[in-house]
Amino acid sequence: MSVARRFAYTFMKEVGAPVAMRAGRAGKKKKARPLKPHFGPPLKCTSRLKEIMTRHYFLSRYAEGAKPVAWVTSGAPVEMLRPFDFYTVYPENHGALCGAQRMGPELCSVAEEKGYHQDLCSYARIDLGYFLSGKTPVGRLPKPDLLFASNNICQTVVYWYRVLAHHFKIPLILFDTPYNFQEINDRDVAYMVQQLEEMIPTLEAASGRPFEEHKFKDVIRMGKEAAHTWGQVLATMKAKPAPMTIFDAFVHMAPIVSLRGLPVALRYYQTLLSELEERVSKGIGAIKNEKKRLMWDNIAIWYKVRDFSNLFAEKGMNFVTATYTNAWSETIPHMHANQPLESMAKAYSLVILNNNLNHRLRLMEDLIKAYDVDGLVIHSAKSCKPYSVGQYDLKRLLLDRLSVPSVIVEADITDFRTFSEEQTRTRLEAFFEAMEG
Amino acid sequence: MTRTEYLMAQKQKDRRLLGVFPAQYPKEILWAMNAVPAEIWDPPMETSQASAHLQPYICSVVKAGLNLILEGKCHMLDGFLFPHTCDSIQNLASMVNDYLNIQKPCYFFYHPKAPYRASSRPYYIEQLKALITALEKAMGPMDPSRFKQSVEQGSALGALLEKIYEQRRSGALSATGADFYRVLRQGEYLHPDDYIPKLEAFSASAGKGDRSGPAVILSGVLPNPPEILVLLDTLGVRIVDDDLMNCSRRFLFHGKAVQDPFEALADAYFSLPPCTTKNSPIHKRIDTLMEKIEKTGARGVILYMVKFCEPELFDVPLLSEAVKRRGIPTLVLDVELNQGLTGQLSTRVEAFVEMIS
Ligand code: SF4
Ligand code: SF4
Repeated sequence: MSVARRFAYTFMKEVGAPVAMRAGRAGKKKKARPLKPHFGPPLKCTSRLKEIMTRHYFLSRYAEGAKPVAWVTSGAPVEMLRPFDFYTVYPENHGALCGAQRMGPELCSVAEEKGYHQDLCSYARIDLGYFLSGKTPVGRLPKPDLLFASNNICQTVVYWYRVLAHHFKIPLILFDTPYNFQEINDRDVAYMVQQLEEMIPTLEAASGRPFEEHKFKDVIRMGKEAAHTWGQVLATMKAKPAPMTIFDAFVHMAPIVSLRGLPVALRYYQTLLSELEERVSKGIGAIKNEKKRLMWDNIAIWYKVRDFSNLFAEKGMNFVTATYTNAWSETIPHMHANQPLESMAKAYSLVILNNNLNHRLRLMEDLIKAYDVDGLVIHSAKSCKPYSVGQYDLKRLLLDRLSVPSVIVEADITDFRTFSEEQTRTRLEAFFEAMEG
Repeated sequence: MTRTEYLMAQKQKDRRLLGVFPAQYPKEILWAMNAVPAEIWDPPMETSQASAHLQPYICSVVKAGLNLILEGKCHMLDGFLFPHTCDSIQNLASMVNDYLNIQKPCYFFYHPKAPYRASSRPYYIEQLKALITALEKAMGPMDPSRFKQSVEQGSALGALLEKIYEQRRSGALSATGADFYRVLRQGEYLHPDDYIPKLEAFSASAGKGDRSGPAVILSGVLPNPPEILVLLDTLGVRIVDDDLMNCSRRFLFHGKAVQDPFEALADAYFSLPPCTTKNSPIHKRIDTLMEKIEKTGARGVILYMVKFCEPELFDVPLLSEAVKRRGIPTLVLDVELNQGLTGQLSTRVEAFVEMIS
């Protein structure tokens, strides 16, 4: 790490970033917000969230050479990296951001020209497209010193990170989490704990810092607390009317994914929680006329978040829960600073996508009951096989067991070239009829 | 005798039959339990029933396998084994076990993923033991001496396959490409008592092959549609080696004397050629392919991709680039299983062969 770069990074963190954020705020104030007739007052916290994430990407440009940089998968136990002061970048979060800004096809095409097939996960194609072209709406991502992946969300991330490791010629640490086909047993936990222990020397070498247990335990506490608070944030949507929509949550989940284990994430969710609790106490709903409550399954369709948000709000339908947003609050709060590695192994291996489909069915039943859900929208995401394989049967089983109507939207998380407006409209119209009938 | 007739005959010998999905698993354990693995890679059937359960973007290996179950064509099987090969098979395993009410036991085999560390080997051995325990519940206790014998048999089989591959590399095998894979792939359901003699006869009957046509190496998942092999034979192409997921990438070429069967199986697993199903680093896959090209003087590489197969498709650009950098052309075939030979496909193959001839 160079001293000059460290200095530049610290300067930008202490001085440059606050100035840039202030300038951004001043610029924004001039723009008049369009009225949203079907929605309640917007969340005040949103501007704070934007600042946090903008600052994160802004500072990341200065991190290279100043701090060890790791590119990390969303399900990896990032708490292992925090004590070593890694600057962490989440290519999946970056992919979502590009998707929301409708840049998916452009970046995917760059990867496709190099031979990466259009059938591959579009987060991976966006990332490889960025790597090959340098195009991104965030300015620049820092070059990694280390890649940190876990196959607890999919095997895809490992195929993808192997490609990155090949190009960057840097170490790839894989946290291998046995799939919970029936149950995760002591042997599996011991294997995962041993892996966590084994990665410490590699992390020390890549960061040039020794492992300090007390720091690690603090991070665990912080990560656990932030995940727990995120769970409380989501739970406010049990109220009627719900104080936010799941489309808000898709955006507000960025810190729990990307900044987990850092104080900023915890502080942010504490603030958001207070705002939501206040809205609940005053009966302020996210949409004005909440007639039906819905659940979302799978990752967001990033380029359609706004359209869907408006469309459903117009119908008086609010998404109040999602398996996706729930993923960061389901198991991570079960980490313990007293048994950090063991509890971390369990928490990270039992996440929804590493868990059997019976678990998913039970979880969805529980969410449907807890949030008093009337209907379900299932996003069948071409990119994501672990999330999507089994959904057709889930739909059938939920209808049989709880008589919950549902609709399947065939789409993709970021690549809208395969999205059929026509097919989606027809399916949604039939769903709306069933819900309203 | 057809595959079904053979499997029926095994049943009559009081052997159990397990339907096994791709790709890598310890068959020796099944043999030791007096069970025959009947692997399910590419059953020749429509996938219409499976399409009611799986999205259009799921590979046809998974679809055809599920269709086989849904059409009730697995009635003679005593259960299923799902190795942890990829996301699609992982979820298929859970769908079959949790949602489809098929009334047959489902077993799951998790193998550790590279990069291997000290923890990987003991965990692999634990997984072997866990599989035995699970099978014992349905099939009764496994005889340790029989286990040792099975591992020895696996070792002998590995050595024999190695010899046959070497014969092919050196041109000492007259069999056509189509015949080679027809015989080899019988190992997907034959018991080793029957498979080993068959391979021995195949190896012994080998005459000098015709060395005039251009040599190619096959990579990818599996040689399906087989019509492509026939076309390559017709065009005089010699397939001199392969890096196929369902062939050389999972043959246990160990061949050492077996002391402890668990250790022997672990030795074999950890010395398998690099494969996406184990997340091997890409440079290792490239090195292996380059070595094969070096040894055989191959003039082209054909990558047999199954449509929507993420594990393989991720490696294609870097593998192709490395091979091309060496002046060797590649042909990537992105096919559905059992799709036959379309005009477009044959034109592409013919053009490729012309280029390397
Ligand atoms: S979208 Fe699905 S396949 Fe792609 S990285 Fe995320 S979990 Fe993996
Ligand atoms: S073809 Fe590929 S995606 Fe399909 S089962 Fe085999 S490894 Fe998995």
